[in-house]
Amino acid sequence: MSTSAPAAYPLDNTFDDPTRRAPLVVGDNDFHSITEKVCGIVEMPRTPPAWWIAFFISVSLTGVLFAMIGYLITTGVGVWGLQVPVAWGWAIVNFVFWVGIGHAGTLISAILFLLRQKWRTSINRFAEGMTIFAVVCAGIFPGIHIGRVWVAYWLFPIPNQMAMWPQFRSPLLWDVFAVGTYATVSLLFWYMGMIPDLATIRDRAKSKLRWFIYGVLSLGWRSSNRHWHRFEMAYLLLAALATPLVLSVHSVVSFDFAVSIIPGWHTTIFPPYFVAGAIFSGFAMVVTLVIPTRKFFHLEEIITARHLENMAKIMLATGMMVGLAYSTEFFIAWYSGNAYEAFTFLNRAFGPYAWAYWIMVTCNVLVPQLFWSKRLRTNIAVLWVASILINVGMWFERFVIVVTSLSRDFLPSSWGYYRPTLVDILTFVGSFGLFMTLFLLFVRFLPIVGMAEVKGVMPQAHLRDVAVQGHGDYHGDILTERGEVKA
Amino acid sequence: MKPEREMKYWRSLDELARTPEFVEAVAREFPTDEWDRLPPATRRQFLKVMGASLALAGLTSCRWPEEEIVPFARRPEGRTPGVPEQYATAMELGGSTLGLLVTSVDGRPIKNEGNPLHPDSLGALPATAQADLLQLYDPDRSRRLVERRGDQEFVRSWDDFAAWTAERFAGDGRGAAILAEPSSSPTMARLRRRFTETFPAARWVEYQPISRDAERDGLAFAYGRPLRAVPHLDRARVVACFDADPLFEHPASTRLARHFAESRQPSRERMSRLWVAEPAFSITGGRADHRAAVPASAVPAVLARVARELVAVHGLALPEAAVNLEAAFGAAAADGNGFVTELAADLAAHRGTSLILVGPGQAPEVHALAAVLNHGLGAVGSTLGYTEVTDPDRPSHVRAIAELAAAMTAGEVETLLVLGGNPVYDAPADLGFAELLVGVPHSAHLSLYDDETSRRCGWHLPRAHGLESWGDGRAWDGTLSFQQPLIQPLYDGRSALEVLATVVGDGDAGGHGLVRETALESFGAVDFDNAWKRALHDGVVAGTELPVVEPELDGSALARAGAGLGALVAAEPPSAVKPELVLIPDRKVHDGRWANNAWQQELPDAVTKVTWDNVLQVAPPTARELGFAEGDVVTVSARGASVELPVSIVPGQAAHTLTAALGYGRTAAGSVGNGVGGDAYRLRTSDSPWLVPEVAVTATGRSLAMATTQDHFAIDAMGFGARLDRIPILIREASLEHFLADPEVFHHMVHHPPLKSLWQDREYPGEQWGMAVDLNACTGCNACVVACQAENNVPVVGREGVVRQREMHWIRVDRYFKTEPGVGPMEVDQAEMVFQPMTCVQCENAPCEQVCPVAATQHTEDGINAMAYNRCVGTRYCSNNCPFKVRRFNFFNYHKNLSEVAKLQFNPEVTVRSRGVMEKCTYCIQRIQKVRIEARNGNRPIRDGEIVPACAQTCPARAITFGDLNDPTSEASKLREDKRAYATLAELNIRPRTQYLARLSNRVGEPAVPEGGHGAHHGGDDDHGKEAS
Repeated sequence: MSTSAPAAYPLDNTFDDPTRRAPLVVGDNDFHSITEKVCGIVEMPRTPPAWWIAFFISVSLTGVLFAMIGYLITTGVGVWGLQVPVAWGWAIVNFVFWVGIGHAGTLISAILFLLRQKWRTSINRFAEGMTIFAVVCAGIFPGIHIGRVWVAYWLFPIPNQMAMWPQFRSPLLWDVFAVGTYATVSLLFWYMGMIPDLATIRDRAKSKLRWFIYGVLSLGWRSSNRHWHRFEMAYLLLAALATPLVLSVHSVVSFDFAVSIIPGWHTTIFPPYFVAGAIFSGFAMVVTLVIPTRKFFHLEEIITARHLENMAKIMLATGMMVGLAYSTEFFIAWYSGNAYEAFTFLNRAFGPYAWAYWIMVTCNVLVPQLFWSKRLRTNIAVLWVASILINVGMWFERFVIVVTSLSRDFLPSSWGYYRPTLVDILTFVGSFGLFMTLFLLFVRFLPIVGMAEVKGVMPQAHLRDVAVQGHGDYHGDILTERGEVKA
Repeated sequence: MKPEREMKYWRSLDELARTPEFVEAVAREFPTDEWDRLPPATRRQFLKVMGASLALAGLTSCRWPEEEIVPFARRPEGRTPGVPEQYATAMELGGSTLGLLVTSVDGRPIKNEGNPLHPDSLGALPATAQADLLQLYDPDRSRRLVERRGDQEFVRSWDDFAAWTAERFAGDGRGAAILAEPSSSPTMARLRRRFTETFPAARWVEYQPISRDAERDGLAFAYGRPLRAVPHLDRARVVACFDADPLFEHPASTRLARHFAESRQPSRERMSRLWVAEPAFSITGGRADHRAAVPASAVPAVLARVARELVAVHGLALPEAAVNLEAAFGAAAADGNGFVTELAADLAAHRGTSLILVGPGQAPEVHALAAVLNHGLGAVGSTLGYTEVTDPDRPSHVRAIAELAAAMTAGEVETLLVLGGNPVYDAPADLGFAELLVGVPHSAHLSLYDDETSRRCGWHLPRAHGLESWGDGRAWDGTLSFQQPLIQPLYDGRSALEVLATVVGDGDAGGHGLVRETALESFGAVDFDNAWKRALHDGVVAGTELPVVEPELDGSALARAGAGLGALVAAEPPSAVKPELVLIPDRKVHDGRWANNAWQQELPDAVTKVTWDNVLQVAPPTARELGFAEGDVVTVSARGASVELPVSIVPGQAAHTLTAALGYGRTAAGSVGNGVGGDAYRLRTSDSPWLVPEVAVTATGRSLAMATTQDHFAIDAMGFGARLDRIPILIREASLEHFLADPEVFHHMVHHPPLKSLWQDREYPGEQWGMAVDLNACTGCNACVVACQAENNVPVVGREGVVRQREMHWIRVDRYFKTEPGVGPMEVDQAEMVFQPMTCVQCENAPCEQVCPVAATQHTEDGINAMAYNRCVGTRYCSNNCPFKVRRFNFFNYHKNLSEVAKLQFNPEVTVRSRGVMEKCTYCIQRIQKVRIEARNGNRPIRDGEIVPACAQTCPARAITFGDLNDPTSEASKLREDKRAYATLAELNIRPRTQYLARLSNRVGEPAVPEGGHGAHHGGDDDHGKEAS
């Protein structure tokens, strides 16, 4: 097509030339090279030492997490810094934080799928995996934060001899359903999408054990037309099912706060605000993880600079939404004429917890502004540091919401100041250990890029449809080594 | 054969060496059993303890004089196991008696309440008297008689002690002395007479650190002989308190608080006006209409100015005898102070219905002046009654112990028997009592604890707790009451009466015999048994109050007071370089006797809200001047002694006046009280026991996180401002005139749209409970907090727990300082103190119920927001959503380390909550159910007033009223219809069942409608803060 094609394989596909469609996979890649690259990670004969080091650290931290949980359960939730008025502390902050992170995967998989954003294919598997692990981490906290962990099952509607049913007016119960459904659907979606790739690994297996394990996991996938037909229909249906869940989970989580009567919590803006924040933090976490991973496993040609740039743009957009929400809250606090609410927000910004508030604003509103500049958002180092800052900011957002609102509510006599204990801190750090442990196992043993889907968006997949070049499913030209368009 | 040589393995070096002990141990059947190695007295002790346990099971009535232990083979008549019984008894504090009604379950006393028949209790009790119960079950109480010789301790028996007394108290008693606590007990007086008759050369000394001797001596100045003043606040329209705290720090404080509350009814004719001039906020100061914060050393000058104003401006004619005083107060410089002129005018306008009270911390001369003014204003016989004292000859306590110390220094005291008290800890520091006591060759100390004094005595004698012993005593007005035991002494203790009887050779009579014998003397033999039974049943003997006398002023005595008064009036006020330190009795541990009482330690101080510490109260501007911040640990020193205390910034404190409570810094109080706070007694001297002038205060550079249950006064400016904005809405207050002119004033303070419920309203066909709390009556005395703690098995969380804000009190008394708007926290000079008892208000539309995922908190059929502890999983969501934050969470198992004996205190009617469970006030649902069952069984409706929650029961001011809202004639219903009734945070549509009655002020010259008018803007639809429920 274009004669002014670049002279070499254009590794940089972040150009803004509207006349050219940017390739989603760069470099001299064909179906085979994709398979080799992705399966190569799983099939590595020797696990790299760096992986072992990372795994050792992560598993140790996971041990810390479970030691802290054991201490908590044997001693009482008093080992945390909780108190009256601030009866929810880091546990709930961490819960919301991890659930929020768990939003990116399903968003990329489901919503971007329905919106036919083909660039999702390189990162969706990765993001979905991250979602599952984040939800696992999130699920721990509501369970252990209750006073009597041994009766946590009372939160589920299980027929019992006491003839007691949960109280359906409580948002905590809605949480149980929302997070439970989300975890189930995310897991199904992730696993189902992985089946063709698992079959590929099975087919390439050189050892009996590998063949057996991946054989079981791929559920007898034979890549027949009928299989593909069913697969794609099921994928579409699951995507449709998961799409409302992306919006509902964090909306329901936000109800924990919005349904209460505490100033700073009792806000109708919370559902969209929480969802935007969740997507924001989810993408930040994907970027934080994907940058070192693609570097380490040499996946730059599959997870391209353009992918990162797109995610930066999404972070910019959602960061702005979050910033808008912050300012709307302030406006409404003033506009409503409610003195309690007005004080709560002033107190957030200028009270004893002002430090947390300004960390939040800096990280979530100011840092994403860097992404207006193309130079900065395509700079991998800048992007990576910014994504970490956004993660920090989003954790603080939840801290600000949970703690500052509770610490000073209606009666000044019951105001307090919450401080975490070492156990709080170690539990949170430990949850990162668990997350990273699961993530490291994932990158080592499962295909971290959806090979089948990536292949589907490569130009090679559409060689026969010359007529549609430039329209519809056109995914760019196949370039020669010198950057010329292959005939 | 030499088996020893062949032995290769051994169990211990003892075995290798074949020591006699080892051989013996092997020979024994159970070598690990140490029973037979204990000293012989321990076996005896064991049997005694077993006996006490049997007594717990069997001796369920205190009324039986028999002291044998009988097995519970036959059920005593009229007794149902498990059904609580109440017995009347009494407790003595500072030479005056309070009447108790103690609830006992199966032989265990579990709760102290006030005896309604007792004139100084009127059914209520202060926090201290209620918490005294916990001391009975204190595992740290001493359990054995100990004789100390050098470093050695020997366990002895009471027989050994009897032998010791027989040896030491012999002949005419020369060289022997008894140091006793002051007592109003006729039996004690009788035994004391016998003691002085038997041992004429022996000394009898009475001492207690917290005494009202200044008043006694002051009245001696005025009337020539010591008298007792009995104030009648119910008859007073104008009360002026000079460093006096009649509503709390008075033996009859319960009665006075009741009468004062009754005098605050909103009518022009009846409502009293209270004037207070004091150095630091007291309970009375919090209720004042006009309050002036003046240094303690300047209080005499203020009273003198009032006197001058009364005489010079209002033409008060003082009696002839008082002419010598006129010179003294006439010298008081006029300073144009509005407080003085207005007070004088008010007093003059209310002759015969006014009353001037001076506190025990002021010098006798000031009391004498007040007595003269009261005399001149016609208070005597009207608002003030005088009675004779039962012990007119004794010197003041401070003088008595100083004389004893002098005798000890001179080596005149060979034997000293200390009956109660803790003089090593609380005697004036300049006497060096501890060293003197060590120098006494033979000494013994009777005490509940092996405390500071016991450790320096030759003998420690375990004392029986008040609920374990017989006794008698007189109320402040002289009414006789009897103390009967509810339980056998747990640790073989004896009462002071019994020990004194042993000394005078009447040791076999026993407490019961001694008291009965005294009663026989006063009742007469005719129909004695019935009178005795009646007295024990009622706890008091009606008509035994001391006769009111109408004394004449004594000019010569007053002349002596004049010179002293002149000096006091001319005293230089304290300054930043020479601040004064005012010592006060602690509102919780009193003189230190309740230091090991966890309920008292964890009780927030009424003013500072600090627990587990005493603090140095400093006014905000003074703190700024001295460069101290909240929590800074500072060293206060005077005359070579010093104490370290944390600074607590309290508004309403006089400038350059520091206040510290006595009773802390104990070293041998027990595991609870040791090392809590700083020992302010170190700065106390016999010449000026209450005021330490010219102290030096230096920073230590350290800071302490004080365990407060409420935020500190000094917080960030924004929080300070918001708090100030909210106080008038939370604790509504208006002047009497304003309220009379506009009865709806309190409902105009908050406006909100009509409140609609999301849910269908519940129907209450039977009863629905509600409560009204009269903020115009509440003094903030904390009695309700302890009553609730005892009734509902509320755990103690300790200092760390309070620092983490995890205190468990179901009811708390919120204290706010009202200060001028626009004045920063560190500039505040004048402040008002207001209280709001806050507990679960049982919202009809309860936010907590809606968010509990497991339905553990639910509405009952009578409208109570109940907690099902067994169902609670502990999400704490309910606490978060509670706008009042009155829910309490068991962060740990707070009962885990409780000793077995302490568990005896628990109320069996209330669940002891496990960890991980939320708890809160349920209007004492166990009391409701008890009455309901009785009513059902009797096939009758529940009568109004029949159900009384623990807090309402014990409120001295009767501020809390509980009742059925379905019954329009119930007291609670009527109060909720009162124009003063409002619901706190009603705008949240929570519809609280507890409503508050607004405060009324009665200041001089308050306009009917203040500037600013209407409190808040009207909306379109408006419920005026008052809602139908």
